[in-house]
Amino acid sequence: MPHPQSDLLYNKLMREWKEWEIKLLKYKDFPAGLQRVRPKVKQLFYRGEWKKDLFDKAVAVVGSRKITKYGRMATEMMVRGLTEAGYTIVSGFMYGVDTAAHKTCLENKGRTVAVLGCGLDCLTPAENDSLYTKILENGGLVVSEFTPKQEAKLWTFPYRNRIVAGLSQAVLVIEAGEKSGSLVTARWAFQQKKKVLAVPGMITASLSKGTNWLIKNGAGLARDANDILEELGGIRPLKEKRKGRILPKLRGEEAAVVEWLKREEMDADELSRKLNKSITQINILLSELCLKGVVEESGNKFMLGLEYVD
Amino acid sequence: MLTKVWSVASRGLEALEIEVEVNVAAKGFPGFQIVGLPTKAVEEAKERVRTALVNTGIAFPAKKIVVNLAPADIPKEGSAYDLAMAVGILAAIGEIVLPACAGRPEKKIYFYGEVGLDGRLRHTRGVFLLASLAFEKGVKEIFVPKLSANEASVVKGVKSFPVVSLRQLIRHFQGEKKIRALKNLDKNRLIEAAEVDFDFKEVVGQEQAKRALLIAAAGGHNVLMVGPPGSGKTMLARALPGILPELLEAEALEVTKIYSVTGNIEPGGGLVRRRPFRSPHHTTSRMGLIGGGTKPMPGEISLAHRGVLFLDEFAEYPRTTLEALRQPLEDGVVTVVRVAGAMKFPASFMLVAASNPCPCGWLNHPKKPCICLPGQILNYQKRMSGPILDRIDIHINVPFVEVGKLRQDTPEVKEVHTSGVIRLQVVVARKIQEIRLKNDYIFTNGEMRNKQIKKYCRLSEDAERLLQTAADKFQLSARSYFRVIKISRTIADLERAEGIEYNHVAEALQYRVRS
Repeated sequence: MPHPQSDLLYNKLMREWKEWEIKLLKYKDFPAGLQRVRPKVKQLFYRGEWKKDLFDKAVAVVGSRKITKYGRMATEMMVRGLTEAGYTIVSGFMYGVDTAAHKTCLENKGRTVAVLGCGLDCLTPAENDSLYTKILENGGLVVSEFTPKQEAKLWTFPYRNRIVAGLSQAVLVIEAGEKSGSLVTARWAFQQKKKVLAVPGMITASLSKGTNWLIKNGAGLARDANDILEELGGIRPLKEKRKGRILPKLRGEEAAVVEWLKREEMDADELSRKLNKSITQINILLSELCLKGVVEESGNKFMLGLEYVD
Repeated sequence: MLTKVWSVASRGLEALEIEVEVNVAAKGFPGFQIVGLPTKAVEEAKERVRTALVNTGIAFPAKKIVVNLAPADIPKEGSAYDLAMAVGILAAIGEIVLPACAGRPEKKIYFYGEVGLDGRLRHTRGVFLLASLAFEKGVKEIFVPKLSANEASVVKGVKSFPVVSLRQLIRHFQGEKKIRALKNLDKNRLIEAAEVDFDFKEVVGQEQAKRALLIAAAGGHNVLMVGPPGSGKTMLARALPGILPELLEAEALEVTKIYSVTGNIEPGGGLVRRRPFRSPHHTTSRMGLIGGGTKPMPGEISLAHRGVLFLDEFAEYPRTTLEALRQPLEDGVVTVVRVAGAMKFPASFMLVAASNPCPCGWLNHPKKPCICLPGQILNYQKRMSGPILDRIDIHINVPFVEVGKLRQDTPEVKEVHTSGVIRLQVVVARKIQEIRLKNDYIFTNGEMRNKQIKKYCRLSEDAERLLQTAADKFQLSARSYFRVIKISRTIADLERAEGIEYNHVAEALQYRVRS
């Protein structure tokens, strides 16, 4: 038998979200959108505080479990805009785009709903432990149709996707490969006569194949949050089109580097060739630009910081 | 009749004088016995010595022969006592006369080497160690196999006689035909540049990586290269010996000692003249890498002493193997403790590690999609633990080079850096460091500890400010903070600058550990 105190400590330290009670929502109390979902959702377990207005304005932001730097930037841009316009972000709690969507929403003081593909007392994926707690603490919900102790299986994820679509007015697909679970969500959304939007990507990028396919087959094109808001029928609630922040004053050489990075992300070698400067000079410039926050680094590429992208 | 001759036993990298007493009794049953904790190889010397003597034309005495290897409580290993035993028997039966020494070291003679059945001597490991001990003890003459004698020739003040066969040795002591001792060789003239597989100019693009390796070579810094398959990591590492400076005399002696004991010197070879470059496979056992065994022997990290240890596919090494590198990386020496005793092996090497970014290798690749799951990537990268990464000064990405893109971008006239040109820069920078650090008994910036960093690394005011900003922004650990200073120091040395300036720190920041 485990030591009682260690058990207590485990619950206290490792699983703070477990202190939130699991509650059951009856079919008659479902939001209207969810009642119409077929196959029918019979019950919904949830943790958190159920508020009716949570689903008045809700958008699902979904995408691939793998996420590229582009996908991350797109997620951040879209979710920020939607959150500022007062929308709840619904997503699937998996790693990749889902996690990025939940996190960005929380960073912007928004409310977010996570739809799990397992029982509410299981944690999949395990590294989202602290995210679980944070969602609840910030007025969000964690919901699932599966009874507690139901573990995540391959079939549970596509199945729960119909709830993701059912809880929202529109589904936004950020990144999706050719055979992605996000396409399943999009299909549920089409079936439920919900709006589907997708972020376009390069035709060569494997993780944009699915989204580009969606756009060709009738999904709306999402270039920024405004595109989604427009699609949802609101007159543009945002004050103005969001402009990139004004760059700080840069020296001639620095400006040249930034000019190249505006076009595409590059590694130090490419910059050195493009600008015809020694790698030493490029390294010095990149250090300075990174410290100023104008340039960011990911993988082995350098790119313009998110705030400065128009 | 009883005779005494001397030989040498090695324990790790230390040598020990062994007295070989041979008694050919006038009475008793004929036989041949060796006492003094001989292992199997020593025990078998009986048959080798007996047959060799017979084949040399000596009538082997049909008497009771006892050989004692003293001190008798130390285990004796290997075949190197053959010669001493043979000489002892020859002297005991009056075939040859050894000069009397009466305990005076300058009259002592060391005999060392394995004997073949035909009476010829074979290449035997550890001759350099023997010569060093002879020098220490004041012994003037040593007799060693001709194929190994060159190892001894670099030790001054010791006459080493290259012996081909027992017959030659008998003639020498009978005064018929003397063996000529080897001349002492000038160490500096022996040292030569390493042979290399690639020249730096053959590596296309990868300017960042080349620059990083130049800095690493100049300051003796450890490097980690991460990149997809085929981006040139291995090629770059293999080109590295071409830009490293030649061994210093003192360094060459240290390396020769290790190579001699482990039997890594070719027959006929002498001083190790080239900077070591070791690239063990990733299935190498922990002991193979670190050193060990019941009778501890140096491992790959010691064989890479004063040179380069190249660990390709770094993340494929078992974690325990990599973690074992921690302490040697920090101290430049490894202590191996076994029941037989504790041995210290020098292991001051430059670690060059190469790894893929993920199991499939294509993460961040512009064209090929990576097929790994996020968890797999995390697990793969987790294999290289924080403490190990923290001990590597220079971290670089080696991106995939699209050859078409490269051609299109490259301006017409671009200076091509050959290994020769780069090496010149390295040599100058190392000389500067050698002079600066000579009072601290280290050679390179890579070996500096915090104490020396504080002493020798003065940052200019704006450099200091830049480093502070960077430490906050990039959340540098205390160790990484000092690493950046160390690399800045080397960059400054490459430019022959006295102090560390703004630009040096700014460049060094690009080689920091990315978390």
